[in-house]
Amino acid sequence: MSSADSRAAESRADRFARELAGLKISDPAAGHPRLWQRLGGVLMVLGIVLGATAYLVSHRTTSSLTQGDAITIGLGGVTLSVTGAAIFLRYSLTGFLRFWMARQSFELNMLAERAFPGPVRTNSDGRLDPGNHNLTKS
Amino acid sequence: MTSLLELRAVRAGYDGVTVLHGVDLAVAAGQVVALLGPNGAGKTTTLRIAAGVHPVTSGRLLLGGKDMAGANPRDLARAGVCLIPEGRGVFPNLSVRDNLLMMTYTGRSRAEIEEVTYQRFPLLGEHAARAAGTLSGGEQQMLALARGLATDPAVLLLDELSMGLAPVVVSRLYEHVADIARQGVAVLVVEQFATAALSIADHAAVLVRGRVALQGRPDDALRNELSDLYMGSSR
Repeated sequence: MSSADSRAAESRADRFARELAGLKISDPAAGHPRLWQRLGGVLMVLGIVLGATAYLVSHRTTSSLTQGDAITIGLGGVTLSVTGAAIFLRYSLTGFLRFWMARQSFELNMLAERAFPGPVRTNSDGRLDPGNHNLTKS
Repeated sequence: MTSLLELRAVRAGYDGVTVLHGVDLAVAAGQVVALLGPNGAGKTTTLRIAAGVHPVTSGRLLLGGKDMAGANPRDLARAGVCLIPEGRGVFPNLSVRDNLLMMTYTGRSRAEIEEVTYQRFPLLGEHAARAAGTLSGGEQQMLALARGLATDPAVLLLDELSMGLAPVVVSRLYEHVADIARQGVAVLVVEQFATAALSIADHAAVLVRGRVALQGRPDDALRNELSDLYMGSSR
């Protein structure tokens, strides 16, 4: 019996159990969007704090070595801020766009219901029956 | 008979409020189980847990014998768990054909899905070009069932199939459900109105305030007990 034949002989219930047996259950906490969003926010703030600290460190010394360290810290702060901002935007935009899409869909439905308050008749090809809807030409 | 879907001592809730207090339920392949009960008993929550959409607080969700609590609902859907929610969940602005086209994500071709659907529901074939929102309630429910079947489900979860439909339409829809179960699909039906669901169910469970108050074969004894639970009895 070929593998295709054996698959065909397998009942839907058996295939269901087999597919689930091979399924890895991921940790539901992993990829938690709110957690990532908060992490992005924290990184942004941390980057700004590091940048300000670097400025103060370099401003209060005449040693070029210390100022070199401050530049390194400052650049690290900028990197953290940019990375944090990217993560924050990624997860906050996802949430916003998801909400926006759901709202669009809901408003479209409301609009359709307002435009066609009663049952709508269509022809067999799916087009609106001109005598049976409430749209008027302006 | 091995259960494809089994809930063991499942507790769950929303925002710290426990809605299910240790629910036990099992559905085998080819079996129709009706989950009945009044409003707010936790029926829909039970269904959402079975689909992996709602997390359990404690207890086990066994699918195909494996504990799947915490599994991604998308993975469960791909494996063959299909939830048809209350309110049908069809896209009202899309045509019947385009609603079916949505189900090609499962890997089945559009032609195959349409062929199987129109064979089972010839009425949908006649209205293929119509917007789903312009169909009658029964036809929309039929479309929702067809979309569910297009996923080739092993476990079918139906929420309030009869909602807003005439009794004659409901009984026709339940004939389709019984036919689907005969093909080996495990069907869990949640219903507030018991008669139609009991007419095809092999087993029934009654949920009251998050607990299974009664379960067994849907015979006259269970119907009487059920009537007492719904109407309130002095016993």
